[in-house]
Amino acid sequence: MKDIWKKPNFIRVIVLGQSLDFEFVHEYQCKRAVLLFHGMTGSPFEMKKMGRALFEADFDVFCYCLPGHGTSPINIKTVRWQDWYNDSVNHYKTLSEKYAEVYMGGLCMGGVLALAIAAEHEGVKGIVSLSTTLYLDGWTIPWYNFFMPLGLHTILRYYYSFPEREPYGLKNEVLRKKIAALQKRNTEALDNYPMSCIYELLKLSKFARKNMCKVTTPVLLMHAKQDDLTSTKGSKFVYNNIKSEIKNYIELEDSYHLVVMDNERDYVFKTSIDFLNSLSDFAPGLESGQVAESAGV
Amino acid sequence: MKFDIINVLNILKLMPVSLVLLIVSNLLLIIGFVVGKIILHKNKNAVKFFAYFSVVICVLFAIYFISIIWFALCNLFTPQAVYSVVLMIFLFMPFIIGRFATYERIHFYTNIQILTLIASLILAFGLAV
Repeated sequence: MKDIWKKPNFIRVIVLGQSLDFEFVHEYQCKRAVLLFHGMTGSPFEMKKMGRALFEADFDVFCYCLPGHGTSPINIKTVRWQDWYNDSVNHYKTLSEKYAEVYMGGLCMGGVLALAIAAEHEGVKGIVSLSTTLYLDGWTIPWYNFFMPLGLHTILRYYYSFPEREPYGLKNEVLRKKIAALQKRNTEALDNYPMSCIYELLKLSKFARKNMCKVTTPVLLMHAKQDDLTSTKGSKFVYNNIKSEIKNYIELEDSYHLVVMDNERDYVFKTSIDFLNSLSDFAPGLESGQVAESAGV
Repeated sequence: MKFDIINVLNILKLMPVSLVLLIVSNLLLIIGFVVGKIILHKNKNAVKFFAYFSVVICVLFAIYFISIIWFALCNLFTPQAVYSVVLMIFLFMPFIIGRFATYERIHFYTNIQILTLIASLILAFGLAV
């Protein structure tokens, strides 16, 4: 076993400005990096536990606020999906220059972003896409959803916001109460979904769906059966349309949309780590350069 | 001319239902957008107000579109067919404006929307007369 697998003495956490961006970087020269993307109207805060779990599994982890997020609620209405995409590609390119292996992971819109990037960049080593939001068809979508096209394609999209409401993407009731209380204080995560943001997400989803057949990167998809925001249709679409030789799709039984915080989060973290390790040439327990068997999960 | 509600009702009775619906929805949409613009100017974060506001505007838009299509179909083979075609342009206007709208210029595009609604209202009144 090489020295690089020694556990670090401390984590170098970089908090950039007032935002919740985080970088978990090992003291030694780690060769594997994971770039995480948070969900629509969320913040890196929601990915922090997953980031820490990946860091403890010997990955350097990076997660940045997507453009328009983490500041004033007004800012999110001014961004386009291309801003999210280009910003994420820039982060990916920066990491790919420094690391031998760059993986990506994302929740909700973050998963869609990771897949959209992988479609255009073959160097991505692997993807973990959680609660992939290609369609907004979850069970908490309001009954008047059929009016949505009228709102989305007219100037109304800059007026309307879907109010975030119970269950806040969480099946765990204790956590739900905590998140609800936190949301009242925390201005970084919005308590509503601006329709203009949904418009941009749906455009990004359309772009991703169109390019899905170009994805050859190994992909792990995890989606809660009872997802309140988006049904499993999106993840199934990805699974059926990507050209990856290694692809896994897991349905979670005891979670809602925020699978990285809900009842099965430990399972999600462990499965993700096992999947990424199975793809890695530098996984703990392997000599450097020894190719891991891509057995999947 | 003295305003007489009975005369107005009599005129309304003579008008096709689609045209009455078009005029009423058009008027309400203009009022709605003006109110929305004023509230937006005063409080950009009035999420609850804009939630209800948007649902009402969506319903009105739906009635507006249906009445335009209804009127156009009913007058396809009448001398008013040309006006029906002109009216059909207004069916697409909200979507064309929405295509180019940005949040930074929301007031400008709301004004354009209001102006197109006023134009369609004038045309509808012209057809009624």
